[in-house]
Amino acid sequence: MAESLFYLLIFPGISFQLVCGWFFEWFDRKLQARFQRRVGPRWFQPLADLLKLFSKEDLLPSGANEFAAAALPLVSLGAVLTAGVYVPIAGFSPASFEGDLIVIVFLLSVPTLAYYLAGIISAGIYSVLGGGRSLLQFFSYEVPLLVALSGPAVMAGSWSIREISSIQAEMGPFILFQPIGFILAVVGLIGKLKRSPLDIPKAKSEVVAGSLTEFGGVKLAIWNTVMNIQAVVGIFLLVNLYSSWSGIVAPVLAVPVFFLESVLMIFVLSAASAVFARLRIDQLAGLGWKVLVPLALLQLLVVILMGV
Amino acid sequence: MDKMNIPIGPQHPLLKEPLRLNIEISGERVLGGILRLGYVHRGIEKLAQTRNYNQNVSLTERVCGICSHVHTTTFCRAVEALLGLELPERVHYIRALMCEMERIHSHLLWLGILAKHIGLEMVFMHTWHDRESILDVMEELSGGRVAHAVNQIGGVRFDLDEDHGPMVDSTVKKLKVDYEELLDVIEHDTTLKARTQGIAPLSAEDMKKYCVVGPVARASGVDVDMRRDDPMPPYDKLDFQVITHPDGDAWSRTYVRLQEIRQSLHLCKQIIDDIPEGPISVRAPRKVPAGEVVMRSEAPRGELFYYLRSDGSEYPARLKIRTPTLPALGILPEQLSEIHIADIPVVLAGIDLCIACADR
Amino acid sequence: MQWLKKRMRLLLALVEALTGEAETVSYPKTELELPKGYRGAIQLDEEKCIGCGLCVMDCPAHGLELEKESKSVYRLTYYPARCAYCGQCERACHRQAITHTNQLPGSTTDPESIIVILKDQKEQEDSDE
Repeated sequence: MAESLFYLLIFPGISFQLVCGWFFEWFDRKLQARFQRRVGPRWFQPLADLLKLFSKEDLLPSGANEFAAAALPLVSLGAVLTAGVYVPIAGFSPASFEGDLIVIVFLLSVPTLAYYLAGIISAGIYSVLGGGRSLLQFFSYEVPLLVALSGPAVMAGSWSIREISSIQAEMGPFILFQPIGFILAVVGLIGKLKRSPLDIPKAKSEVVAGSLTEFGGVKLAIWNTVMNIQAVVGIFLLVNLYSSWSGIVAPVLAVPVFFLESVLMIFVLSAASAVFARLRIDQLAGLGWKVLVPLALLQLLVVILMGV
Repeated sequence: MDKMNIPIGPQHPLLKEPLRLNIEISGERVLGGILRLGYVHRGIEKLAQTRNYNQNVSLTERVCGICSHVHTTTFCRAVEALLGLELPERVHYIRALMCEMERIHSHLLWLGILAKHIGLEMVFMHTWHDRESILDVMEELSGGRVAHAVNQIGGVRFDLDEDHGPMVDSTVKKLKVDYEELLDVIEHDTTLKARTQGIAPLSAEDMKKYCVVGPVARASGVDVDMRRDDPMPPYDKLDFQVITHPDGDAWSRTYVRLQEIRQSLHLCKQIIDDIPEGPISVRAPRKVPAGEVVMRSEAPRGELFYYLRSDGSEYPARLKIRTPTLPALGILPEQLSEIHIADIPVVLAGIDLCIACADR
Repeated sequence: MQWLKKRMRLLLALVEALTGEAETVSYPKTELELPKGYRGAIQLDEEKCIGCGLCVMDCPAHGLELEKESKSVYRLTYYPARCAYCGQCERACHRQAITHTNQLPGSTTDPESIIVILKDQKEQEDSDE
């Protein structure tokens, strides 16, 4: 009982995910600033922003559904925190079951659906636009992401993340066998996190802030936390599925290697954010269905043939 | 799908200056828009009638922040034409130097804004970083980054020392290198071209119908440039090209402005090399004889038109300013039909809005 | 290779930016060097000023006021809140009495309260009012 509480509240539960989320936000903003030759925020900036948002007034326009506006961020937070418990950290995972990969991917999609609903229920023009765009984007990147993520599962012969990550100790890191799958998974992650170049739902110059335009105060603080933790869990998931060294190196090195890889992933995401311009929604749909899905299917075919 | 009305209202992350654009959308397609201006109207033309000519030099400078020097230059040339003053050559060269540097910094600013609106924040920051070197030179020469206060009626207020010439030279050289890098990035970046090519094409007939001037018109093939057609004194001796582009879409406007930076850098170098010695101002009387004059010049956004009528006193009787942004705004609702919402920033940026100029 | 290099130009710029220094400065902590000709705060050389009022005539923002009773009894007032730092007063003065320094004008929370008397030559009983 005490052990479960520890896993839920401290590691790898709420506290650990929160701290990792804040580190992710700080490191991403610092990298973006350094790419632009600015100095960037100090390490406690995400925490300061959170506290500042708590002290702000929480208004919604008349006609918005107050109950849903309060419930949606909390539901998303619960979903991503639950997903975080099942993803192994450097080989250690307190709970897992066969098929938890599919559950994790579904749980990570709950914030996107909640984002769409949040746009519909907050009675504002920009919110409706942002919400609609987020659903359109969801259809374009989710299919290649799912197909790409099933590559490691097929190769390992199991749908449990813990199994997939530990079997790489014998077979070698999967990124060597499925580089295209890895790139597709990264693109899918960028779409899921609504980062540039796929930040179409919250493009500042078009729809001000997308679904979250009318949110403020504590609700917005929870939304920001959801985005951060979603990013962290997504990064951990990709590191586990594609490049898990926890069985290969000595246990004392496994933790630093894991975190180093996660930091490299943040680097990749930030660099992709800086180098590409934002796509249009029809360009994204074309890219998703004409390029990404065929590549993903090709990669899956190669993986299946390699196993035969 | 049913239609929605979206206000791109006075405050929006997209706009540098307040402007109201009510667009009608259906799904992701824009059907049309209605434009409302007047949020930055300060009554400059009326204010000019209550101030004497020296005060008006500072007043016209504050019509716009980005193209401030060319406003004062045109006004001073109008007054000097009414007074019948003959200015020393050095004055014309110094004025032209500041005009060209202003053109460079305006186009670099515009490029950064375009990149920012389509999501390329890194290009935005890098372009504005390059722009800083021009602003530093302008600050060294004139004493202000934005409000240069270069002109006075009868000449200019500062002179180029021995070390100013080499400083401008080295800045131009360094900027040429940075500019070539930037050109490399812009011309070969696939995402930027994908976002700007084919958007909102306009033909040369549309341009003539709405009297559009400047880089927007030159991007549709209309060959008009006041530096060549109605030149200010040093320009008839300097060598430069007028850039046009046959397609009228957002990419050609980008291309025209990028190439104009190169021409301006070339002009700066020529001015520094050929500048003659001489005095920098002549004495100008306070009372201007009665008459009326029309003076035109090439602002970074197009043809700037000043009409000045004097009745013989120290105060102008009528000052009329026609800025280049105003006709370009006229053509905006036509560009807004049949595009995506995501193209609105590109279209607005392509006109290079300067609402302060348009509203006066 | 050249083709790839051109496509990846932004990526190279990114690496270059990371390895370089930041271009922004932390203003109040680091000193800001202003050029010699920067149009900053106004100062008056009282010896040279003769109270002719040319600067007052040419100020576009009505930031200078001259109360003159006779040739040697006058008060020149300057309103920093209205000043546009345009330099017309400096240009207008025939004796270069009023000039711009290159210091930044100070900031305050109540701009209407700052009124600077640049030169006061009025009689004693006048300044008691």
